[in-house]
Amino acid sequence: MNIPPAVLLAQNLVVNYKQHCAVEQLNLSIPRGCVYALLGGNGAGKSTTISTFLTFNAPTSGQVLIEGESPHQNPKLVRAKLAYLPENVALYELLSGFENLKYFCTLAGIQLTRDQAHSLLLDSGLQLDAHNKRVATYSKGMRQKVGLAIASAKHAIAMLLDEPTSGLDPSAANDFAQRIRAAADTGMAILMATHDLFNAKQVADRIGIMKNGRLVEEFDALSVQHDELEQKYLAHARGLA
Amino acid sequence: MILPILHKEFISTLRDGRLLLLGIALLLVFSGFFLASAYELQQLRQEKQVVGKTAKEQWNTQSVKNPHQAAHYGIYVFKPDSPVAAIDPGLRPFTGQALWLEPHKRNLTRFSPATDQVLANRFGQTSASFVLYALLPLLILALTFNSVSKEREQGTLRMLHSLGIPAKELVFGKFLGLLTAFTLVLTPVIALAGVFLMQQFSFTLDDSLRLATLVLVFLVYYSIFTALAIAASTFFNSSRITLFCLLGFWLGCMFIAPRLGAFTAAVLSPNPSANEFWNAIKQDIAQGINNDGNHEQRAQAFEQSILSQYGVSRKEDLPVGFVSLNRQFNDAYSSKVHELHFDRLRDNFKTQQWLSHVASWMGPSLSIRAVSMSLAGMDLAHQRHFEDAAEQYRHYFINLTEDWDRERSHGTERSAKGAETDWRSVQDFEYQVPTLKFALYSARWELLILSAWLLIALNLLTLSARRLNP
Repeated sequence: MNIPPAVLLAQNLVVNYKQHCAVEQLNLSIPRGCVYALLGGNGAGKSTTISTFLTFNAPTSGQVLIEGESPHQNPKLVRAKLAYLPENVALYELLSGFENLKYFCTLAGIQLTRDQAHSLLLDSGLQLDAHNKRVATYSKGMRQKVGLAIASAKHAIAMLLDEPTSGLDPSAANDFAQRIRAAADTGMAILMATHDLFNAKQVADRIGIMKNGRLVEEFDALSVQHDELEQKYLAHARGLA
Repeated sequence: MILPILHKEFISTLRDGRLLLLGIALLLVFSGFFLASAYELQQLRQEKQVVGKTAKEQWNTQSVKNPHQAAHYGIYVFKPDSPVAAIDPGLRPFTGQALWLEPHKRNLTRFSPATDQVLANRFGQTSASFVLYALLPLLILALTFNSVSKEREQGTLRMLHSLGIPAKELVFGKFLGLLTAFTLVLTPVIALAGVFLMQQFSFTLDDSLRLATLVLVFLVYYSIFTALAIAASTFFNSSRITLFCLLGFWLGCMFIAPRLGAFTAAVLSPNPSANEFWNAIKQDIAQGINNDGNHEQRAQAFEQSILSQYGVSRKEDLPVGFVSLNRQFNDAYSSKVHELHFDRLRDNFKTQQWLSHVASWMGPSLSIRAVSMSLAGMDLAHQRHFEDAAEQYRHYFINLTEDWDRERSHGTERSAKGAETDWRSVQDFEYQVPTLKFALYSARWELLILSAWLLIALNLLTLSARRLNP
């Protein structure tokens, strides 16, 4: 059996914050075209895992690799190969969505023409009349779309999403899920930390449940039904599993 | 990479309503102080011109009298002010505006505006330069304190970090962007001052150079505050703590450092009281300095030397006026003693200025004030330059009247006379205002301290970049 090579890989990852162990012996492997949803309650270690890939924090032991290379030893990797979408896409309020996209892309070393920038925003679902409005007037969903446009512009091989649908209305969340799926279908490896079971089941290929820093269960998304997934999640959350 | 960051910071700062609001407030406050100061300067110049002309005319039209008696009428000379003094009046409120030149005695400058002002004016004693060296840095701190901490709090720093932006480029991009925006706010202020001064005053090339240098030095000063504010914003995690620290620094710079400097200077190098100063001169003239002997001994020795020089045994037989000769001798000795004490006093002022630099570690404001005063020609060095020129002129006109007195009398007679043609032949006091080079030289230590502050601020900015965690 052929195992596709991992784009995002965590090997025996341990991350400690002072005395607290945030991630403990985590092993993850996410190949191209795969959406991996990390489920878990607050403090389970999902965001810490994502932050470690982004080099926001360093592993206490073990390692994370992006296409076989450590981002901590070669931080330029992060810039070149990863796209990041936090829970609240942080943009500059005094700039328009268009200006934000151009600015972040320029800093990432991508020169976009005017048409390319508009096209990316349109592809991400942001309507044309909003492109030149200041971000201060945007809803959370609109900001997510600008974030998605930035990620798309980078042509990243992997995307890290931290609670991307939190606070979005069902329609916007559904729309967002479709765009993530589409991105994965182009070959991107996606690691998504979420509380949203429905969204996870809808978009993910594999699902992992974390608790107290440990990956306690992992399965294919297709192998479980919604009810079953909910039961598994609640069982772990209530300490019954 | 710095360029897009600079551009973004520039645009954001301009779009930030706070900048516009504070910029307008700044322009209004500066305009108020500047116009009041320019009006005062213009009034003062006109007064000096009128009084100078009247005093000279009164000198010229004296009746026929003894030349020494005429010299006692005295001549007033005035220190000319550079148009740049409308921005920074410097020490003008505390130093005198006029020098009364008379025989026998060197005077201190008279008529300092601070002593002439009504009490109410003392509560509002603020100049346009106060806006530039105190209020504008406050505006910079108010707009910059959260430049990085806000990004950290809003999460944009994580976004930037995920793109792998080098921290150093980010903080320096912010530094340049913010500085460019502040410069833009400052431009109407500079333009207003420049155009107004050129229209209202005769502006020489040296005045223009002084004004341009002043603008340049203030830009360096603002760079220091901008760099320090961004460094603090990067260093501290919270905007609130950053703001408290920066306000503390500003208060220290503006209010504590000058007091501390003045206190240090007053304790370590106190000035003599006016009474002590004049009494010391009187005593040294009477008792003599450097083993010259007392007044009587010196007078006897002088009389003997004159009698032997002219080969006579009695001063009544001298072919020239002895009274005038003796007076010239006494005046020369008096000038020597005056010079000694004046130099000591002014050296003490200089030492005090030096000692006040001790407080410069608290901030660059003491230095910029000194540089600004120097460029406006309103510092101690320029005052001293003027006083020395006036003293030379005093020697010239007193010696001239004494020459007439000596040559037109004999022995101990006091029959010499002078007339209007003589009085009119006395040349006017043509004071050559020192150039920019002089101003820069006299402010060289302050410029050095300012440069050191700039280096410190830029180094702190570089060091803070290492702590730029999302």
